[in-house]
Amino acid sequence: MIPSDHFVRFYNEVFKFLDEKKGLQDYYLEISKLQEFHCLELFRKKGLRGMYEYWDHIRIEENCDMTLNLTDEYMELIMNHCPSLSKVTDNDAGPCEKYCEHCPGWVVPLIEKAGYVVEYNLVDRKIPKCSIRIYPASSGKKSVVKMEPI
Amino acid sequence: MLRYQEDNELHRDFHGCTNLSIDYISKHYGVEALKMILRKTGHDVYRSIREKLQKGDASELIEHLNWFFYREQGKYTLKVDENEIIFEVHECPAVRHMKKLGLPISEHFCLQTSEVNAGMCEGTPWKSEVKLTGEGKCIQIFRKECAE
Repeated sequence: MIPSDHFVRFYNEVFKFLDEKKGLQDYYLEISKLQEFHCLELFRKKGLRGMYEYWDHIRIEENCDMTLNLTDEYMELIMNHCPSLSKVTDNDAGPCEKYCEHCPGWVVPLIEKAGYVVEYNLVDRKIPKCSIRIYPASSGKKSVVKMEPI
Repeated sequence: MLRYQEDNELHRDFHGCTNLSIDYISKHYGVEALKMILRKTGHDVYRSIREKLQKGDASELIEHLNWFFYREQGKYTLKVDENEIIFEVHECPAVRHMKKLGLPISEHFCLQTSEVNAGMCEGTPWKSEVKLTGEGKCIQIFRKECAE
């Protein structure tokens, strides 16, 4: 058994393999489908409040140093210290350069399927911080993934 | 002493992600590719365990098995002799969680055990073997090959 604590280090090896095969994007979509099982109904039913609840649960279970803000306009997640990237960098196997991309890779399709859009800032692939703002699709905004310092 | 010793909250749904990854790689790239990734995980991620095994020290491997199965509330027995470690899993926490989620379990799910263990032992005097004895049950054997 790969301990659930060590899953991300296995994930990192899967990413290295798929990156060489140019197969990352298709894999992200598969992860997104699995995540639908865990949260699509919640997101559709409760909208931004449901997203807040989901990531608040993740905040505890995945030991994230994360700030969540829920407003009438958006749900915002600020990852102050990402435990996933931190584990991958604290790893004798070394990190996959594109490790961070898996998050928007599954989050954006799922959120769009629920009727929302995402502004995703990965900040820097080597820094375990990122931020997400989710708006209803009716806001007229488009999903975007960027990498900008904060 | 363990190289990675998490002791905070557990996110058991990661077993579902491991299952998805195993299924995805085997379907799209073949079982040999999956075995290669898992073996590399055992070899590279668990370098500390492997390097100790190379020196004849199985202490981190024993601690690893004991700690993470205890932490995930698996049911197991561990028998350690000088040249043999027998780790019998009576209830695998990963299989138990998959069943709790109601997700189909990949036919290759248990390769995560046999191949990672093999990767940890690569280039060391230790050899690993996994005997599947039922759903969520197995016997993991690590045996030190002694010089004649």
